[in-house]
Amino acid sequence: MAYTTFSTLSNDAMKEPMFFGNPVNVARYDQQKFEVFEKLIEKQLSFFWRPEEIDVSRDRIDFLNLPDHEQHIFISNLKYQTLLDSIQGRSPNMALLPIVSLPELETWIETWSFSETIHSRSYTHILRNLFTDPNEVFEDIVNNDEIQKRATDISFYYDGLIHAVQFMQLHGLEQNDVPYVNLDGKTEKLTLRDIKKKLYLCVCSINALEAIRFYVSFACSFAFAERDLLEGNAKIIKLIARDEALHLNSTQQMLNLWADGKDDPEMAEIAIECFAEGRDIFLKAAEQEKEWAQYLFKDGSMIGLNEEILCQYVEYIANQRMQAIGYEAPFNVKSNPIPWINHWLVSDNVQVAPQEAEISSYLVGQINSTVDSDDLSSFEL
Amino acid sequence: MSSKLIYNGQQYTLDEEATLLENLEKQAVSVEFHCRDGHCGACRSQLVSGDVSYTTFPMAYLKDGEVLLCCSKSQKDITINSLS
Repeated sequence: MAYTTFSTLSNDAMKEPMFFGNPVNVARYDQQKFEVFEKLIEKQLSFFWRPEEIDVSRDRIDFLNLPDHEQHIFISNLKYQTLLDSIQGRSPNMALLPIVSLPELETWIETWSFSETIHSRSYTHILRNLFTDPNEVFEDIVNNDEIQKRATDISFYYDGLIHAVQFMQLHGLEQNDVPYVNLDGKTEKLTLRDIKKKLYLCVCSINALEAIRFYVSFACSFAFAERDLLEGNAKIIKLIARDEALHLNSTQQMLNLWADGKDDPEMAEIAIECFAEGRDIFLKAAEQEKEWAQYLFKDGSMIGLNEEILCQYVEYIANQRMQAIGYEAPFNVKSNPIPWINHWLVSDNVQVAPQEAEISSYLVGQINSTVDSDDLSSFEL
Repeated sequence: MSSKLIYNGQQYTLDEEATLLENLEKQAVSVEFHCRDGHCGACRSQLVSGDVSYTTFPMAYLKDGEVLLCCSKSQKDITINSLS
């Protein structure tokens, strides 16, 4: 059961399940069991961007002019997003790569996680521009109770899966000599099916994360930009949102492929067995996001958004995204309470030219990035 | 005679050159969309009758009988319903 970086067993990857089959040996992409993961890799690569390409220098002025409660909204969201992408930049790799069996899925996981590290880097890019010393903001991420509550819930399923897989790969599953002691310090009987169940719930939790956890923050960033504020930040968030839609697609694919019996038949049974638990994971994430909206607006709303509208939006996208994985829509929200957001979520699929996207290397040495008619007043024709 | 697009029981003229989403938007029908690129699944709908051809690989997971409006066109009469 030990992991091998290159299995010499000649196997046909077209017959492997997504996870817990033979380890991937040859990284070949000429054939795929599930073509969609190959398409996701191509799409994610075509989306490639770097935070430095976006000029955020004007955001500092906007930020300093915000009232305190709006600064709280903006910074808290950045902290929360930093947390989410800190987790996502490593966890799919740590949890899923040791057990994956399809070359296209293996590479998708790596591509996915890598793109999350770009997101993390962009938060640093934004924060470095806003604060001379962003240290305090970063330090608060591990001290802030509101963020901590969410962190624990997200890492719980990942950590449980990683721990069980590590045990299996080190000791096998006999447990005659070495019993499995889980993360709570309790002895637990571990079978392959138990670990598959942990995988299923972990993917449910990742799916909920990609589906709704980011969107409260996204909505706030776009709402600022609708008022022509913090537009550099909004441009970055737009690129992040475009990536997140792909990541969400991949977890929806996994859950649906399992549930529809197109992959490992045992996973199809587990999908039925864990149907209610998967639903609860999603609903809990939605609840936490609504609580997050409450925390954001504790000292006051922002123009264009308040707690009520944001909570309705959480319910609205939760409905959509739960339907996408085979659940009934749990909330009674029929239409999008903030329809303007859709225009920020369009993937225009075009690489923006440097002069359009304000690549910051084009702006080196430039202090003022705005030009108004007064600047041209000394010109005569 | 031009083809028809029936959406949620309402009949519209079908523009064969435009995607189904664009068709509905032109008729001022508000339909959910995000990416307009076939990967987010926001515009997933039920195909009741007819055929679609995709302008790009439809990446969102589709169950049998479901279509993505943002990246599909139709050359003939087509009937679709929203999912909810």
